[in-house]
Amino acid sequence: MNKHKPQHELQHKQAFDEPLWWGLFSAGGVCFAVLLPAVILFIAVLLPLGLLPANALNYERASALLFSVPGFLFVGAVICLPLFHAAHRLRHGLFDISVGSDALNKKLMYGGAALLSVFALGLVIAGMLS
Amino acid sequence: MSTEQVNTNNTSTKHLSVKRYLPDNSAESYWQEYELPVDDSTSLLDALNHIKEQLDSTLSYRWSCRMAICGSCGVMVNGIPKLGCKTFLRDYEGDIRIEPLSHFPVQRDLVVDMAIFLEHLAAVKPYLIDDNPAKPYDPTAPETYQQSPEQLARYKQFANCINCGLCYSACPQFGLNPEFLGPAALTLAHRYNLDSRDHGKKQRMAELNRHEGVWSCTFVGFCSKVCPKNVDPAAAVNQGKVEAAKHTLIALFKG
Repeated sequence: MNKHKPQHELQHKQAFDEPLWWGLFSAGGVCFAVLLPAVILFIAVLLPLGLLPANALNYERASALLFSVPGFLFVGAVICLPLFHAAHRLRHGLFDISVGSDALNKKLMYGGAALLSVFALGLVIAGMLS
Repeated sequence: MSTEQVNTNNTSTKHLSVKRYLPDNSAESYWQEYELPVDDSTSLLDALNHIKEQLDSTLSYRWSCRMAICGSCGVMVNGIPKLGCKTFLRDYEGDIRIEPLSHFPVQRDLVVDMAIFLEHLAAVKPYLIDDNPAKPYDPTAPETYQQSPEQLARYKQFANCINCGLCYSACPQFGLNPEFLGPAALTLAHRYNLDSRDHGKKQRMAELNRHEGVWSCTFVGFCSKVCPKNVDPAAAVNQGKVEAAKHTLIALFKG
């Protein structure tokens, strides 16, 4: 019955939040694909296997790298944006298998991603200030 | 010419299972089996016509042009939406299962009610809006309908839709929520938004930027796989998401 819908009612139904979620999802997808494989290779494979130079990521160097503006951006790109990407996929996946309601799933998924992001970025800021 | 000619003498017998639904007789649908002679040139539409004329006149289905331009003869073939006239039985071995298009209410046998699709189509205003800048008999008016080949190329890909509805049967999101405007309507909205003669984008964006507009699409892409005219609705819908995001940003700054 869309064709009979008056314009003001359409204005009321505009999805102003969706472009934000979709933008975060897209940015997160790029970070997921471009940055995360390299990060996992260095931090989760080469480093534990001892294939990096011994002092490449010792405590002093690692904390100096992380607790800085580039470190803040690094956490945003490899943790926060991929979190929103995953939250978007989970929300639509839950809708696809008819679990819960979309309004609640949205709050849970994006809320969870936002909380974890604030926590991760907060840790970096706390480290920068200490 | 290809050296591999289609052979019209190579007749064999094929087995067709058709999902029947005759609401006058029974509320339940049932499968009916047909054996019919086919050759390499027999389309599914030819086969249905053979059944109707020779075997069972009670079978109902839609068709008109038999050359993939009217978009009437869409059915599910082994669970995949296809045009009957563009589907050849030579490509199928064993049992061939014919069902009405998914996600639409069935009226009778292979005939579905496409009203919801037509409503969604009408909602996005798929026609040129305020395209004619010239008033009648105004000698100072600019020439109308000027469009360069580059301007034509922007939307031409999306202008080949024949409204057959196969993409709606392929779309899991339309299956979950029939209020979703769906692939063809969103593609045609995009087609007219891209047309240099059109001035109706603002009206269409209000429809596209709803939850039931472009944002219900999860980019499954099956719509583009089943489209018999290679329109690529999935690409159009996702370009529509970029447009809807821009529209929202502009609306935010304009207040």
